[in-house]
Amino acid sequence: MRQEEVTLKVNGVSYRLHIEPWRTLVEVLRDTLGLTGTKKSCNEGECGACTVLMDGKPAASCLVLAMDAQGKEIVTIEGVSEGEKLHPLQEAFLKHGAIQCGFCTPGMVMSAKALLDEHPHPTSTEVRKAISGNLCRCTGYQQIVDSVLAASKAMGEKS
Amino acid sequence: MFIRRLPKFEYHAPGSVSEALDLLERYGERAAVLAGGTDLVVAMKKRERNPEHLINLKGIEDLRGISFDEKEGIRIGALTPLRELERSGVLEERFSPLWDAVNVMASPQIRTLATLGGNLCSAMPSADTVPPLIALQASIKISGKGGERKMVVENFFRGPGEPDLRPGEILTHILIPKQPENHGGVYLKLMRRNAMDLAQVGVAVCLSLDSEKKICRQARIALGAAARTPMRAEGAEKVLLNREISQKTAKEAGRIASEEGTPRSSIRASREYRTAMIGVLTERAVMEADRRIRSMKT
Amino acid sequence: MEEYSVVGKSVERTDGRVKVTGKARFAGDLIASGMLHGKILRSPWAHAKILHIDTSRAKALPGVLGVITGRDFPGIPFGTRPDTRDQLPMPITKVHHFGEGVAAVAAVSEDIAEEALDLIKVDYEELSVVLTAEDALKPDAPLVNEFMKSNVAYFSDFLFGDVEKGFREADHIREETFSSQRVTIGFIEPHACLAEVDPTGRVLLQGSKQSPYITWRHMCRAMDIPLSKMRIINPFVGGAFSGKHDPFDVDFAAVRLAQVTGRPVRIVLNYDEVLAAYRQRNAMDARLKIGVKKNGAITALKAECILEGGPISGIGPFNIYFFGAFLNIPYKIPAVEYHGKLVYSNRAPCSTVRGQEIVLAQFCLDSLLHMVAEDLGIDQVEIRHVNAVTNHWTTANGIVVDVAGLQECIKKSAEKIGWEESRKKRREGRGIGFSCASHPSGVRLGGHFGSSVMLKLLEDGKVIVTHGGTEIGQGANTVFCQMAAEVLGLPFDDMIQGTSDSDTAIFDSGMFGDRCTYWDGNATIAAANDLKRQLAVIASKELGAAPEDLEFKNRRIFVKGNPEKGIDFLLAVRRAYYERGEPLYGKGYWAATDIDIVDWKTGRGNLAHGLDFIATAIEVEVDKETGKIRLIKGIHGDDAGQPINPAMLEGQVNGGSSHMTGHALFEESLYDEKGRALNYTWQNYKQPTSMDVPEYSVEHVHTHDPYGPFGAKGAGEASSCSTLAAIANGVCDAVGVRIKDLPITPEKVLKALAEKEGK
Repeated sequence: MRQEEVTLKVNGVSYRLHIEPWRTLVEVLRDTLGLTGTKKSCNEGECGACTVLMDGKPAASCLVLAMDAQGKEIVTIEGVSEGEKLHPLQEAFLKHGAIQCGFCTPGMVMSAKALLDEHPHPTSTEVRKAISGNLCRCTGYQQIVDSVLAASKAMGEKS
Repeated sequence: MFIRRLPKFEYHAPGSVSEALDLLERYGERAAVLAGGTDLVVAMKKRERNPEHLINLKGIEDLRGISFDEKEGIRIGALTPLRELERSGVLEERFSPLWDAVNVMASPQIRTLATLGGNLCSAMPSADTVPPLIALQASIKISGKGGERKMVVENFFRGPGEPDLRPGEILTHILIPKQPENHGGVYLKLMRRNAMDLAQVGVAVCLSLDSEKKICRQARIALGAAARTPMRAEGAEKVLLNREISQKTAKEAGRIASEEGTPRSSIRASREYRTAMIGVLTERAVMEADRRIRSMKT
Repeated sequence: MEEYSVVGKSVERTDGRVKVTGKARFAGDLIASGMLHGKILRSPWAHAKILHIDTSRAKALPGVLGVITGRDFPGIPFGTRPDTRDQLPMPITKVHHFGEGVAAVAAVSEDIAEEALDLIKVDYEELSVVLTAEDALKPDAPLVNEFMKSNVAYFSDFLFGDVEKGFREADHIREETFSSQRVTIGFIEPHACLAEVDPTGRVLLQGSKQSPYITWRHMCRAMDIPLSKMRIINPFVGGAFSGKHDPFDVDFAAVRLAQVTGRPVRIVLNYDEVLAAYRQRNAMDARLKIGVKKNGAITALKAECILEGGPISGIGPFNIYFFGAFLNIPYKIPAVEYHGKLVYSNRAPCSTVRGQEIVLAQFCLDSLLHMVAEDLGIDQVEIRHVNAVTNHWTTANGIVVDVAGLQECIKKSAEKIGWEESRKKRREGRGIGFSCASHPSGVRLGGHFGSSVMLKLLEDGKVIVTHGGTEIGQGANTVFCQMAAEVLGLPFDDMIQGTSDSDTAIFDSGMFGDRCTYWDGNATIAAANDLKRQLAVIASKELGAAPEDLEFKNRRIFVKGNPEKGIDFLLAVRRAYYERGEPLYGKGYWAATDIDIVDWKTGRGNLAHGLDFIATAIEVEVDKETGKIRLIKGIHGDDAGQPINPAMLEGQVNGGSSHMTGHALFEESLYDEKGRALNYTWQNYKQPTSMDVPEYSVEHVHTHDPYGPFGAKGAGEASSCSTLAAIANGVCDAVGVRIKDLPITPEKVLKALAEKEGK
């Protein structure tokens, strides 16, 4: 049982790491790379707090072996904004009261981003479906849905 | 008792089916294959499964992808993620019960990872892709050192969690034949809440009507979470054969189906509720399948 | 209504940016140099003697630096009240519930810590379990809590007004029983704690704790640490809803292991541990009897309630008290009799939960009100208008309602949901259910209750706002900055949220019971006024005017009515710092000593200011063949006085209600006959997702509370209180069946429909 050499590309940066094969992606992101924006809660793929993007697709990083994430473009919440410039989704979340305790927020943003990247103009039902794997206890989801729709509108106006 | 970090294992990433079979032969019972990981990784964290060797199949290109042929039907690699099936236009149009199932399974972040083969090999009585595959007359291809075998999906399950896989075998492809004329189908699922849940009851119905779209010439009804394994409701099918589909015949089919099912009580639902809902869902699925055929353009 | 510059605006949260970029640090994100990882070993039994724990093999595992059990603590019990000190940091003689932590290890890695757990050998002797209230009250029932002589943990008996007379005068009387199930609290962040101890023995605790003050008092007592030897710095907390006030074994073990090993220790739970063994809402059995006149006006109410609360009383005595006290609101009831009992059991420990016991009390009361309205042929909206409290109302138990916008709330929610139209044209399977509720803006639980805020003025004219509480998501940090900015005439962006560090901030009694905006808000205003006074003195010299004649607005200090005659705010600051060496800070506190400390035994007293009011209407659709209930729309007419931040307020209202939709329809913590938890993963304990909740909207009813900061009231918990009955009533309106035992599952609906149709 030995460590393996692994190259992970996270938020555009390549990291060469030595990790045990039994480490999950969420553990490596948080503990090895110090990217603690991605959260860990249930550790069984049920809550969505660990959602990251892998090649643009939302994935439960608690169920992905870090070894298995090689060769993929991984984007975490830290990679959504560009320095101080926030993504329109993040701006919308701030503007429409979509954030309370903030624990589900990173996962929510990732799921919402994956949706808008694929479907720039979703309906409210499609938004709800896209975030149906992200549990929130604080907000009741209403303002999160409103934010995603607002972001979609804002992004549409820009293009 | 409680979820832990993954146990230690050795990791292997074969690039071909034969490489994978070699590894399976070498490590035998000490090995497990890794597909999407959405079942296995959780089971390992709970220490329900503890393989010393993990054989990741996702690097095997041959095992992924959807290819459709007008005459042959559709061929799906076992390692194709549910998310890909969700986005398949040909699945949505021509093999809709499977498409319905994928749309009500888990969540987006699970569908990216979970595979069709994984869902089949979990052999859970409530596995959502199975009733649609049975109703669509799908078969599967299994590869082993001794060669390949093929079987219809409904024969693949020996019991809850027990797929008919011999040691050293891998499920490689799922084949759904071209469906008959004037065909329509649907998969309906009942859950405790509206997303991200296992089925309390799942019903898939595939109907084929005559050229006048009046009489039912073929009916296949498959039930999930209704018995120890997914099952055909052949008695219910007989009710519909060579008759017009109507609310009355649909209701009758539902009644028979609910007698054929032998669900058990669990924390998700009681036996009585499941039995009653097999009837309700079957009736609704029959009517919806019929409606879909009628609303087809051809 | 007054127009404010900052108050009343939906400004961006002070912590929004760090949260939306993933930079906000929660307890599980914190690291310390030399940190060890802790894990907890849990009991597989619900009730068992601990005969022996052998930790020797675990201690010998390379990489393990410390292993502790309950015996490593002083054995001093703690509890909410002096007469309910029934809780230990970790169990010593016996375990009381499934998953109770019996030992903890600290190791250099998480893998080793987990391995060590398997090396600890515990010898248990199984004991009979007490699961339900009924079990607990049997004469031969085993005693659950070793510190108490009975399984009745607490009781309250209230009598207000002449109940006999009230029933005599009633034209119609109805009596019903109700029950509510065990549910988990369901915040998304699991418990986590990082503890460090310095060589002088001073503890630094950074945990996912909701109310540092409560944690601090209990921990210091139970660990026999002087209060001055514990420092608490709050990270962000990922939701709490009253499930994170008390210190838990996570916190105690982290501290003890830090003491034993001399290294920082971090323990982060996995969520299944939380579901199995941490705070839930009491299960409830209640019987209510109501008397009403022909027009629906309530004449009397009698209620009995038993709360089953797990093996420690915790905040339970308050729950029992609150259930009865708040039957007096939001309806005008001249006479109320109440008997409540809290019993121990071997299920998971309970706390209070979002909305507190009003959630359960209101479920019963508003369901019952719906029933008598049906009996008498009175419109559901009308009966609520008849009974709703109005301004300057005093309840039978002495609660003084200063301002009640409830009538307007009812009117608005009825309008928005389309009540009139729905009565004219009924849609098959569709219904609308109403419920009202009221929640106080922080009760006065004891003499120590108070809030304090400090404003530190920086040399560049910015202000750091520090309060002793915690930002658990409710937006406390933000509203205090808004209020301080408003008083000082500064833009919101000039306010900086300070760290909640007990060394520098003054403790606040707790983030619960809807008290933050109100109590800490008033403290903020006091602190801002204090700072304002100091600046006014400096400015008055500059302007040759009396300090009381000066106005603060738009970063200027000027003579009232004469804006030209003024100076820049920053100039006054500089005068102080650079000419007089005088640092400026404002301090303020608010303790509401004009209201009564709650009398837990009689329930009498004016226990709070700032009652917020809500009228909730929920439209449901019931599938008569599957029994499934779909929540379509939820409208809340909400009177929170002057909204400080409307967007955040709406978030509170929407959130509280959607939380309870799970309780209403499908959440339940299940146990087997031996008290072992059955569904303690999120795969099997289902909470509402985005696809389960209705489309919500909030209709603000703007009032002005005479004691509230800027006239505001609390807003965090009313909607949790009105949702259960609204859904139950909606189901009744839709298909004519009344479910009185929660959750309202499809199976129950079908069974009730079948009974109704005489099958």
